[in-house]
Amino acid sequence: MSRPRPLASAVAVVAALATLFPIYWMVLSALKPAGEIQSLQVRPWTLAPTLEHFRRVLTGEDFGRYLLNSLGVALAVVALSAVTAFLAAVAVTRFRFRFRTTVLIMFLVAQMVPVEALTIPLFFLVRDLGAVVPAVGLNTLGSLVLVHLAFSLPFAIWMMRGFVAAVPEALEEAAMIDGASRPVVLWRILFPLVAPGLVATSVFSFITAWNDFVFARTFIISAQENQTLPAALLVFFKPDESDWGGIMAASTLMTVPVLVFFVAVQRRLVAGLGGAVKD
Amino acid sequence: MKILHWTAAGLALLTLAACAPSTAPAAGGGDERSGTLRVWLFDEPNRAPKEKVVGEAIREFTAANAGVQVEVAYIPTTPARHERFKGAFNDPASAPDVAEYGNTDLAEYAAAGGFADLSADLSAWSEGGDVGADLLKSATVDGKVYGLPWYVGVRALYYRTDVFDELGLEPPESMAELAETAREIRKRKPELYGLAVGGEYTFGALPFVWSAGGDIESLDSAASRKGVKAYTDLLRDDNCPPQACASLTGGKTVELFASGKAAMAILGNFNRSAVDAGAAAGKYAVVPLPGVEKGSVAPAFAGGNNLGVMRSSRHRTLAVKFLQLLGGKTYQTKMYEAMGNLPTLTSARDELAARDPFLEPFLDTVAAGTRFVPIHPAWGKIDNQKVIPTMLQKIATGQAGVEEATTEAAAAVKAAFGRS
Amino acid sequence: MTVAATTTPGAVRAAAPAGPGPRPRNRRAAGLRPWLYLLPTGAVLVPLFGYPIYMLGLLSVFDYRQAQVSGGEPARFVGFGNYAALLGDERFWSVLGQTVAFAAALVVSTLAVGAALAVVLTRAGRVPRLLLSVAAMAAWAAPAMTGSTVWMFLFDTDLGLVNQVLGIEGHNWFYDRWSAFGVVGLTVVWHSFPFVMITLYAGIQAIPGSVLEAAALDGASAWHSFWRIIVPMLRPLITIVVIQSIIWDFKIFTQIYVMTNGGGVAGQNSVLNVYAYQTAFGSSEYGLGSAIGVVMTLILLAVTLFYIRALHRSGEDL
Repeated sequence: MSRPRPLASAVAVVAALATLFPIYWMVLSALKPAGEIQSLQVRPWTLAPTLEHFRRVLTGEDFGRYLLNSLGVALAVVALSAVTAFLAAVAVTRFRFRFRTTVLIMFLVAQMVPVEALTIPLFFLVRDLGAVVPAVGLNTLGSLVLVHLAFSLPFAIWMMRGFVAAVPEALEEAAMIDGASRPVVLWRILFPLVAPGLVATSVFSFITAWNDFVFARTFIISAQENQTLPAALLVFFKPDESDWGGIMAASTLMTVPVLVFFVAVQRRLVAGLGGAVKD
Repeated sequence: MKILHWTAAGLALLTLAACAPSTAPAAGGGDERSGTLRVWLFDEPNRAPKEKVVGEAIREFTAANAGVQVEVAYIPTTPARHERFKGAFNDPASAPDVAEYGNTDLAEYAAAGGFADLSADLSAWSEGGDVGADLLKSATVDGKVYGLPWYVGVRALYYRTDVFDELGLEPPESMAELAETAREIRKRKPELYGLAVGGEYTFGALPFVWSAGGDIESLDSAASRKGVKAYTDLLRDDNCPPQACASLTGGKTVELFASGKAAMAILGNFNRSAVDAGAAAGKYAVVPLPGVEKGSVAPAFAGGNNLGVMRSSRHRTLAVKFLQLLGGKTYQTKMYEAMGNLPTLTSARDELAARDPFLEPFLDTVAAGTRFVPIHPAWGKIDNQKVIPTMLQKIATGQAGVEEATTEAAAAVKAAFGRS
Repeated sequence: MTVAATTTPGAVRAAAPAGPGPRPRNRRAAGLRPWLYLLPTGAVLVPLFGYPIYMLGLLSVFDYRQAQVSGGEPARFVGFGNYAALLGDERFWSVLGQTVAFAAALVVSTLAVGAALAVVLTRAGRVPRLLLSVAAMAAWAAPAMTGSTVWMFLFDTDLGLVNQVLGIEGHNWFYDRWSAFGVVGLTVVWHSFPFVMITLYAGIQAIPGSVLEAAALDGASAWHSFWRIIVPMLRPLITIVVIQSIIWDFKIFTQIYVMTNGGGVAGQNSVLNVYAYQTAFGSSEYGLGSAIGVVMTLILLAVTLFYIRALHRSGEDL
């Protein structure tokens, strides 16, 4: 556009540092020895980094287990929603059919529903469902996969639809002419072509599942072993004095996987967004 | 295949509960002799000693019962506990086997049908007869015993002997003296709070109301207002600034006193271990909380926690056995030593009272007469809606005057009774 | 839910102001095939999304409390009884009022910060731009839960950095209603400005450089060209960002629930979502809680209708 301005650059750097600061503070506090956290002389660095909080969090409070639970739920949601959203996106972009607009608007409307309010009916629904299919009843990770799948789908479809539409239909037509069957066209040709889009979509599905607090809190009633991270984090808020070192270490453990995921796919994410803009 | 599976699940869902909202499936219950026994206990200030004793009990229990694991979860005592317990009642399949609960919550939990009737188990138990009749009543609704009283909690006035000596003060003998003493301490030692009071400390505030002649059911009466005013007057800069104290729960006042930031606090016998673990250790004494009349004792809240077996427990026998172990004399005594929990078994209590002078002020308080919250499911609602804390906090923060706040609270109490 | 999950790259797509949206060029004889492709989606969404919404409405017209849930008593149809109780409840109105006001303040601040930084991005050098993008990504990716805990720690009464730096140890930020909302608001804006910033940045990039250069040659200041050129050209995109933010900020739950410990001193920081949750699961008023949920849904539905209209206007092909 225009050449860089020093003032803008300075503002950008300051804003970046301010934005990063809470994350820096979280990691730093997780590494500070307990004495320094308790100290009334707060310093923005530490000379004696320690892993004691991580050790306590991972062994004493079984956070490793919760980390795996969260990861399992999130990855299951990602896999299921990718396939499901892909098919739905193909349906709404490659075909004209009655009620197509209605279906699309419903996906859109679904994104605005206050899902926390739906905990009330869903609680009873999942309870009754559990009586029939115990694997997805209350207290199980399966129930979390189900609800997060439901809540991430409308958005995933909405997003995938742009990526599918961006693939020229001529490619599929050519393949069909060459005698490829529909499933082959769908899974061998179209699916790989929208893979970057799938990755971008997956980030959002992953985050929906990974960040959830309210369902984990409501559905996992007594099965400690099925806790996920956000709800488990609350154990460090003690009735007398909160264990900030533990809270920060647990928060770090919870943030790092998403950051890694984001950074790993960042290029594709931005490319995906950028591509969408330029089309 | 996947599609078929989902479709089947979808159809199953639709046929289920097709029109009217459903009710909980009948509590199944069962009597498996192995597997994991899930136990809910309350989280407390300085939980470590409790955890240690419970751990010992678990080791003893698992050694005696092969193939059994015990898993303990510590539940917060804040009103958020209601959400946890409701969840367990609403889905019996997910409920724990054994749970500790406050006897104030009993009426509501019994109405929800969450706990099993243990009448027969307790009368058949060798130590069952040792539970005081009064105490057993605190676990009984409509003739059914829904738990074993585990410990008694009575609150009294903890004060710092070193501070009192230094300033030449005597333990207060009336509520007016209490307030006076508190302010004087704060004035002469501004780094200290006089009396640690909290806006969310319902059981710290109630003795003021009761002592003034008021009650929970009539918060807008002149007597209740006097008590509320006496308490909220302490939530001022000259004693415990609302900035710091308005959001304090009972547990946080324990922390204030234990860490040496407050010269007095209204704490329970069960807070002893927390205080002994802090800076105030060895520098405090306890007297009954004085009442309005000089020389009288303010009616204390006779709290306590019970151990119950969930009605839907799939390990009924094991659950009862574990409850009897943890609630038996050996472990009640150990819990006293660890936490200061006053035993419910008469013989254990008598033995401890004879050898430990610490208990004296608490037993004196009990002897002077104690009070209880309404034994009614409405109390659960009043507690969960934070009716009393909201009232105290509104006054402390200046959002409302005593009159307005008490009127509002009285209306909320009335509404809760009307709708339960 | 999460900031990220409610963001819409679909919105970014809509930024392409010029070209017509992608359109199925080949209108195949559809038949049943699209429905077959939609079947898995339907199998998930109908029972787990549609049905709960229906049930939410259903519960809201029943007297449905603990006695009914745990069995024993049958659920009693009360018509609009729960709604009447709500409308007559002063607390509901005050919570509704502060939810709307808080959401409005959040939307304005998020937008101001996001838009300002988007403009900064277009003018900054390569390295600062990259740095800010990465920082924004990090804030965007951070879960609402950990964001809440970190900001709580920063503003902690005794051990918080903010109090130490300002020299006001012992100041309780969560005591006063407005300062508590302020801290929570800061957290929310930190989480959500990246979406606005990145979306608007992408939109500005799509504006032909020649337009802005022409303006610059005419001597237009940055301020001037922002209001006179960028804003009008991005209007559809801004509308969408605003509405997305409204939807997200109105539904705020985790930050309030965690940071103000379920609604703050005397419940002064409660918002509708938290209120509905506590009414249902805390006070066992499942019917009443559902009614609050329905009210929220209706309000958001109205906002969504505006959203759809905005999408249409921006040329999005539905």
